[in-house]
Amino acid sequence: MTLLVQGSFKSTGVAVNIPIPASADYFVTFNQTQAATTQATGRGIKFEWFANPSMATNAAYETFKTNSTNALNYNLVTTGGFNYYAGYPQPEAPFTGTAITAASPAVASGFTGLPYNNGDRVVLYNTTGMEIIGGMQFSVSSVSTTGFTLLGLPAAGFASAATNVIARRISPFNQVLPEFMYVTAISQAAQAQVTTSTINTNVIYVGQKLVFQIPTSFGMTQLNSNSQPGTQDIPYVVTSIIDAYNFTINVNTTGFTPFAFPASTLSPTAPLFATVAPAGSSTQYDPIAQTFTGYNFNLQPFRSAQEFPLMNLQAGAQSPAGSNNDIIVWQAWKAPVSQYASNA
Amino acid sequence: MSLSTTGITNINNMAPELPLQFSEDLLSTPMFNLIHSFGADLHYAEAHIGRTTRMSRYERLSTNGGQLDGSGIDPSPEVVVRTDVDADMEIFAKTVVINEQVNLYENDKVLTKFTALLGQWLREKEDLLMRDLLSSSVSYLNAVGGVNGQQPSEISRNDINNIERILLGNDARTMLEVIEADLKFATSPTRDAFIALASTDITPDLQNVQGVLLKNAYPHQEGLRPEEYCSVSRFRFFVSSKAAKIPGISQPSGQTVYTIPMYGLESFAKVDQNNYSAILGYRPPFVVSSVEQNSQLYAKFAIARAITNQNWISGLNVTQRL
Repeated sequence: MTLLVQGSFKSTGVAVNIPIPASADYFVTFNQTQAATTQATGRGIKFEWFANPSMATNAAYETFKTNSTNALNYNLVTTGGFNYYAGYPQPEAPFTGTAITAASPAVASGFTGLPYNNGDRVVLYNTTGMEIIGGMQFSVSSVSTTGFTLLGLPAAGFASAATNVIARRISPFNQVLPEFMYVTAISQAAQAQVTTSTINTNVIYVGQKLVFQIPTSFGMTQLNSNSQPGTQDIPYVVTSIIDAYNFTINVNTTGFTPFAFPASTLSPTAPLFATVAPAGSSTQYDPIAQTFTGYNFNLQPFRSAQEFPLMNLQAGAQSPAGSNNDIIVWQAWKAPVSQYASNA
Repeated sequence: MSLSTTGITNINNMAPELPLQFSEDLLSTPMFNLIHSFGADLHYAEAHIGRTTRMSRYERLSTNGGQLDGSGIDPSPEVVVRTDVDADMEIFAKTVVINEQVNLYENDKVLTKFTALLGQWLREKEDLLMRDLLSSSVSYLNAVGGVNGQQPSEISRNDINNIERILLGNDARTMLEVIEADLKFATSPTRDAFIALASTDITPDLQNVQGVLLKNAYPHQEGLRPEEYCSVSRFRFFVSSKAAKIPGISQPSGQTVYTIPMYGLESFAKVDQNNYSAILGYRPPFVVSSVEQNSQLYAKFAIARAITNQNWISGLNVTQRL
């Protein structure tokens, strides 16, 4: 067995993805912070993963301390462990809930045993009463085992709440960035404010050019290209980032048709969805602030969103990515030959 | 889905065929249709000047105003707008390590055949990378003209015409030329056309679309690619088993949703890296192994990709008709 690569990070209490280009036959994490102390409830200090035979999703072999002492225990945990992705992940198993509120932001509830984390991306469908969001992707926050908040869905104007919903967790990014995004609101303002269903971090930046595709069922089709005779019909430019779900563009939409979701009763024949797609950048120099915009070399280029294979480390007191401020050391090992191989 | 096995290819995980008799001909290795680079603009990145390639476009000028009223006042000059589209160069590789006993006992010339497999991997990987670009960074509309009760529905003529309207409205140019009519029974000409890329899973639905012209009904077959399936309205459809799809997300029943990119000229780009063309390589046993028992074959290539004009590409999300 060869140690291929080793690294470390300081936990922020959220899941961590570690690319391992050469894959791994054995992956292990050490929680150095918890190894040096004891807790009233003993915590995990070492987590192991084996490739062959393959382990279940979210599983890990955990070495953890006994309550308030350094005595060690060993156990197979089936939640909060490792997820190994050889390639881009497919939607995970569905969870069924009982409601989405017609509020801003909307809140989905009535689930059982949700394993989601804040910032995860889900796709929702079978949204009875809110059919016009079925198939959309959302980032989730305020996550519990029974529900989550959809900060990117201002649903106060919807005619009714949803009485059923199915959620499947998907990858937090498409395969390639910058990616298209679902639009859930656009204000009528001198510089229109655009709300997206997913977090715009790492996707939207000041100076970015965007092309909208607004179906007639959503109103505000004036934002579509070539809708205003005589103008240059050029892509719109992002002028500011308000927060993780909102940004402004250089378009005065005060005279445009209001943006609104079509009535749920119009599904499945109402054209869906309103989307916005990346269309390059506009490079500008502000001599007063002495700053360039549109020269964002991190977010601007089209690029792979994530390297694969990768190891996903779940976070928490009994998980490999640890709790906030824990120092985690990780190692990926490789065997030259796997004797229990099954390549049929 | 089982994970691919990594490690050295040896006589344990790939035992020789003998004592069975080995047929003189190898069976075919499956290969999917490579369609996702059709119509991609090809660019080249210079070496030694960074990994990001910038493609720029001057936007056209406004047509508002412009009349001179004789007063001698000049029209105000218009600022020219440039749009920059960037793409990061990325390098991908695959390797196979072969134990000498495989070479010794295997009936076939494994190094030659494995090299061919790596060559196939080069093309397949490149195709899927272009597919991922198209499925990630382009806006799609849900098909709604079908009758399967799903959102999106199965593909229909109205949905296809709607995408043509969008592309034409954005001044997109067609990519394929007219196939003129001929004096042949049961054939019809095709118009100059945009390109559409679809999954083989929806070919039954394509056959049901009003006005579909299957490939065999084109007046001329010369130069047609085997991947082409049919023509509908202003689009010619090419199909692949690996075209983009997302399982289990349609409204309300959670069916698989297929994305169909539909585009015209210069809508997306593939960038090759100068000084780093696709490489198939061999490392001999004395390099790979301390006892000269393992040799290595590898393939690697560099690619950057970008959507260069969002106005000239769109597409449909569809489901299958039940």
